[in-house]
Amino acid sequence: MEILRVEDLSFRYPKAEKPALSHIDFTVESGEFIVLCGPSGCGKTTLLRLLKKEVAPFGEKTGSIFFEGAPQESLTCAGEMGFVQQNPESQIVTDKVWHELAFGLENLGVPTDVIRRRVGEMASFFGIENWFRQKTDELSGGQKQLLNLASVMVMQPKLLILDEPTGQLDPIAASDFIATLQKLNRELGLTILLAEHRLEEVFPIADRIIMMEDGGILLNGEPRSIGPGLSKLDAAHHMSCALPSAVRIWQGLDIGGTCPLTVKEGREFLKRNYSGQTVTLPEPEYLHEEATVEMKNVWFRYERDLPDIMRGVSVKVYRGEIFSILGGNGAGKTTALCVVAGLLKAYRGKILINGKQVKDYKGNTLYRRCLAFLPQDPQTVFALDTVRADLSEMTEMMEIDKSEREKRLDEISARLGISHLLDRHPYDLSGGEQQKCALAKVLLSEPEILLLDEPTKGLDAYAKQNLRDTLRELKATGVTVLTVTHDVEFAAETADRCALFFDGEFISADTPRKFFAENNFYTTAANRMARELWKNAVTCEQVVECCKSVGGAK
Amino acid sequence: MKAFGNIHPSVLMMYFLSVMLVSMFASNPIIQAEALFGGALFCLCIQKRGTALRDAGFYISLFLMVAVTNPLFSHNGKTPLFFLNGNPVTLEALLCGVSIAVMVIGVLLWCKCYSEIMTSDKFLYLFGRIIPKLSLVLSMALRFIPAYIRQSRRVSRAQKAMGLYSGKSISDRVRNRMRVLTAMISWSLENAMDVSASMKARGYGQKKRTDFSIFRFQRSDCALFAVCIVLLSVPLVGMAAGVTDFTYYPGISRIETSPAAVAVYAAFGALSVLPSVLEAKEAIIWKYYVSKI
Repeated sequence: MEILRVEDLSFRYPKAEKPALSHIDFTVESGEFIVLCGPSGCGKTTLLRLLKKEVAPFGEKTGSIFFEGAPQESLTCAGEMGFVQQNPESQIVTDKVWHELAFGLENLGVPTDVIRRRVGEMASFFGIENWFRQKTDELSGGQKQLLNLASVMVMQPKLLILDEPTGQLDPIAASDFIATLQKLNRELGLTILLAEHRLEEVFPIADRIIMMEDGGILLNGEPRSIGPGLSKLDAAHHMSCALPSAVRIWQGLDIGGTCPLTVKEGREFLKRNYSGQTVTLPEPEYLHEEATVEMKNVWFRYERDLPDIMRGVSVKVYRGEIFSILGGNGAGKTTALCVVAGLLKAYRGKILINGKQVKDYKGNTLYRRCLAFLPQDPQTVFALDTVRADLSEMTEMMEIDKSEREKRLDEISARLGISHLLDRHPYDLSGGEQQKCALAKVLLSEPEILLLDEPTKGLDAYAKQNLRDTLRELKATGVTVLTVTHDVEFAAETADRCALFFDGEFISADTPRKFFAENNFYTTAANRMARELWKNAVTCEQVVECCKSVGGAK
Repeated sequence: MKAFGNIHPSVLMMYFLSVMLVSMFASNPIIQAEALFGGALFCLCIQKRGTALRDAGFYISLFLMVAVTNPLFSHNGKTPLFFLNGNPVTLEALLCGVSIAVMVIGVLLWCKCYSEIMTSDKFLYLFGRIIPKLSLVLSMALRFIPAYIRQSRRVSRAQKAMGLYSGKSISDRVRNRMRVLTAMISWSLENAMDVSASMKARGYGQKKRTDFSIFRFQRSDCALFAVCIVLLSVPLVGMAAGVTDFTYYPGISRIETSPAAVAVYAAFGALSVLPSVLEAKEAIIWKYYVSKI
């Protein structure tokens, strides 16, 4: 039975030149799990918001939307269609978990006895009992997003719409969230429409994938048909980079057969077609220059009674390298970065920046032509009304000529591709654009050392590639980049060296190939697929290259 | 703080109000001492040992300050102890100061207990009955404030790391505050958009709201309510009839020991140790359960 039908839907925002959506047609059957994907700015959010009439944007709309056979306009109950947004933080309305769960039902005027029962039922389904009476502010990001989902589910919706719900979560919380969605779909038969960047995990569990581009639907079909479909459109389609590793390797090899989706299938696919002994690819010795950032036996804790976050950290980061710090949630990676940036003070040990201790940098000297820090949330970098104002404020601090200032500003915006965004308000930009502008702002201080905290959070695959290219360009100009990230794939593709931060220490620091080849679980999907053939092939490109070099399929 | 904190908010509210009001308006030293004792005992029950010790220092110094201040400024009374700058320091004024100090600290301790036990959700629940819209607004405000503080810290840190007005001079500091504030205004507006979308998506404003809460008025609450009413009515009647009146000036009156007065002392004493007794009872019952397992 069909639950949702969209017929020839087009939409244009007021004053926009191009329509945000043009001629969208699709249907959703009851009980389906549909994943909507595409680069940011392709109209996913607009489409999802139009489906839910309470949050629909204003603008010119043509075409029609039917929910359960009836036109959307005649729908009266907000509970029928659940809607979860990206930011876990800003969707929570009330201060207590139990109140948040009851909020929707209160709005619908449900009697309190019924609310009690439904809230209890949902809290136990989602495992919320343990934090049922807590304040919403005390929850972790993953818990917050789970609460947002649960407080929509108490209204017993027939269709659940989610707009990149895992964008702000760390990988483990994101997997938990996806697993919960799968459980809802399987056990309750709930129809789910999910917009998502991280396709590695949702591809295998989805019934159908709808891929969008520039406000239109590019592909609409079973997960297994997406890889071949995209190859047929264009062998090197720019959207391929967003697909799961198994699909990308299959596309790269181009030897036919059914398209694998998971690591397990990918591994079998490789084994079937290429065989032989496990080969360890030769790894050239890592050459480096002198150290720019050096930590010597650094200890840090937030308060006297709290446990140590850094326990005798010693590490050297060399000039002109990209150094990635990986590690679990709450391991203290961000703290370590703040200590390097001089924002937090270590109580023991030395931190040397260019051979000089951090505490010896007086006033702002550390943050001028020396070190720059880009925090996790790029919004925190902006303080003014336009991107241009924010950037020029930075150039004014640099004690250079007026003409030179303008030139610098134009140069950096051209380099990062943000020239067209300069006159917009920073908050009106997408996540990826905000990040680029924030990066531009910190780069205007002409740093030799750039610290990045979770730079890939909320970015789509395309924006990640962009960021990678930008970092490589910076590296080429001699900038040292120190990033903290959860994103194993990004680290493997970008970093010169990776290190694992665990239990207050850097456990190992090595080139990505050595680092990931040694790990069994904490490694890229491509490496997990191919490690029985090429032990230290880490990225999809490397695997494809190795396979091709062996020569053709068996 | 299991036993007493789990009582229905309306009973709790009535209890705290009655204890505090009686101890404030009865100028009788016995009643004040009882209130102080009850408050201190209950504070010990619900607090960690370390903080209780630290707090004790604060309360003792406050006690001394209040007790000493009164005789320095008030020179009423008929028994001068000594003269200071030509003004008499009288026994009556000294004792009156002690009494005020006992009362103030008793009420402070009860206020502390109140803030521990009557958490915001209980308060909201009580007042939400009267003005439902206000209770939702308050709940949203309580949600918003910690988020705002956290974000403003992040902004401030990010700005500092860019070296913008992060110097130690006053002008830099003021400018930095202003910048963080303007950034936070944009953030608040942005946040409000998301919250309102989230509220609308969950049907806010479509129908008349119901008001859900996790508190239920149970039989034990009812019983406790009755006990409180009985224990409270005795001192109220006694105070109205002037049984426990006490004066310091010009001479200290004798402490009343008539049967009626003793009844008032007993009732109020029982009222002020009630929460501690409930906690103790709970603890003992729990030990008993554990020993049976």
